[in-house]
Amino acid sequence: MMKILLALDPSTQTMDEAIKIATDKQASLTALFVLDTTWNDYTAHDWLSGSGSRADFLEYARDHEFVSETECAATFRKRCPFQCEVKSATGRVSDEITRELIEGEYDLLVMSHPFRRGLEVVRDTAGKILKDITCSVYLVQTNPPALFSRNGSASLP
Amino acid sequence: MEEKQGMAKVLAIIPGLAFMILTLFVLRTYVEPWMENVVVMGQKGWLVKVLSLNYILLSILTGMFYRNVIFGGKIPDWAAEGFRTTRLFIKSGVIMLGSLYTIQGLLKVGGIAITLIFSFVFGTILFVIWFGGRNKMDRSLIGVMAASCGVCGVSAAVATTPAVRAKPADVALAIATILGFGIFTMFISPAIGHLLHLSDYQFGAWVGTGILNSGQVLATCLAYNPDIAPGTAVAYGEIWNVVRVISIPFVVFFITLWYWRSEAQAEHISLVKIIKEKFPLFIFGFLGMTALSSFGMLGAEGSETIHLMRQVMSWIFGLGLVGQGAYIDIRELKAAGGAPLKVGLAAGAIKYVLALVVVLLFVAKEANF
Repeated sequence: MMKILLALDPSTQTMDEAIKIATDKQASLTALFVLDTTWNDYTAHDWLSGSGSRADFLEYARDHEFVSETECAATFRKRCPFQCEVKSATGRVSDEITRELIEGEYDLLVMSHPFRRGLEVVRDTAGKILKDITCSVYLVQTNPPALFSRNGSASLP
Repeated sequence: MEEKQGMAKVLAIIPGLAFMILTLFVLRTYVEPWMENVVVMGQKGWLVKVLSLNYILLSILTGMFYRNVIFGGKIPDWAAEGFRTTRLFIKSGVIMLGSLYTIQGLLKVGGIAITLIFSFVFGTILFVIWFGGRNKMDRSLIGVMAASCGVCGVSAAVATTPAVRAKPADVALAIATILGFGIFTMFISPAIGHLLHLSDYQFGAWVGTGILNSGQVLATCLAYNPDIAPGTAVAYGEIWNVVRVISIPFVVFFITLWYWRSEAQAEHISLVKIIKEKFPLFIFGFLGMTALSSFGMLGAEGSETIHLMRQVMSWIFGLGLVGQGAYIDIRELKAAGGAPLKVGLAAGAIKYVLALVVVLLFVAKEANF
C-alpha cells in the first residue's frame, strides 16, 4: 500500500490535497507536525537582553508552537474522512520531516510551498528536504497569509 | 537534537569552541598580517586601511562563510554547542569593557550619551508607531519593530514580543530585517568614518546611536579601531550602547502601555515588574568593573594586569564574532519583506543618517574624559 506523509502547517488547502490523493490512491496517510526548537539559535544575535527576557521569549515561542500543533492537528482530523495518524516531533522542521520520510519509508510527501511552520517562514523548507530524500514530493503552492495586515490571520486557505 | 546535561554538555562544547579558536588564531596570526602588507589599488594595506578588514570583520566574514558555504546553512551538530558559547563570550567581554572607564568619566560622557540616546530611542519609536500604522501593520508587530529599531535590535525584539502578544513567525521576519540592515551598516560605517575623518569619540557616538543591533555596534567600533583602551572607538561606542541597553525595560513599558491602551482586554502593567524581569543584569558587572577601575584596583594604565585583560578581551570578542558570523544565514535574511522591511529600513536609515548629522554638528572631536 502506498504511504503518504503530509507535513502539517496551517494550510487547509494542503491538507485537502493530501486527503484527496490518499483517497484516490487508496493510500495510507500520516500527518506530521514538527514543533520548531530552533528559536534559541535564531535569536543568538540577542547578546544583551535582560535577565528573564530571553527565557520569557523562548517560553512564549514554545507555547505558540503547542497552540499551533493543537490547532493544526484538530483541523486536519476534522477534515480527514478516514482513519489517519497524526504524529508529532520536535527539532528543526526540515530535518524532522526528512527523518520521518526516511525512517517511515514513505512513497510521497505532500507539503505547502512556501511552508509556514515556525521559523520555516524564513527558510526554504522544500529546497532543503529535496536535497536529502528520494521519494516523490507534491508541493502545494499556497498564498502567503496576510501576516502583516492589521487584522491578519495566520491561517491559510 | 537531544539536550545534553552536565559533563556531556561541557565535552560537547569543545569541538566547536576549538574550531572557533583555531579560526581566530589563523586570522590573527596569518591572514591579518598578510592583508596589512598586500598591495591593492596601488596601496599597501588598502584592505585594512580602507575597508577596515581587520581581524574583527574577518572573524564575522569567516563565520558567515562557514555557515552559508561550508556548513550549507546549518551549524553541524558537532560544532553547535561550541558555537552557542558566543553569547557568553560577548557578555563577558562587555563586562570587562567596564574597566576602560572611571566613574568620573562615565558621569562626564553619560549626560551627553543619555540625552542623545533617549532622544533617538523615543524618536524612532514614535516614528515606527506612526509609519507602521500608515502601512497598516499589525499593532503587535509595530510594537516589536518600534522596540527593535529604537533600542537594540534583536534583544529589544526578544524583550518586547511576549508583552505585545506578537506572533513569533512575524517576529522572525522582523529580526531578519533588523539584522540585514545592521550587517550592511556594520560594513560601510568604518569606511564612512574614515572618509569623514571622524574621531574615535565621534565615531563611537554615531554608531552607538545609529546602528540598530548591540553586537553590531561593538563590531563596528572594533573594525574602526581594533585597540581596546580608554579613548578608543569601542570605549565610546560601548558607553552609548550600555545607556541604550539600560533603556530596554523603560521602552518595553512604554510600548506595552501603548499596545494595551487600544486593546479590549487591557492587562495590568507594572513598571517595577518589567524592570525586575527585563533589566539586563550584566550591567551590574560592567559597573562593578568601572568601580574597580576607579579605585585603582585593576592596576595603573600600562600595567601588566591591564595589558593582559585587554589582550583577553580582544580574543574574547574575536571568538564571539566568529560565532556571531556563523549565526548569520544570508538565505534567512533574504526572507525579510513586506511592511516590516519597509518600516524597518525607513526607521533604520533615518536614524543612521540623522545620528551622523547630529554627531557632526554637535559632538566635539575629542571627549574630555
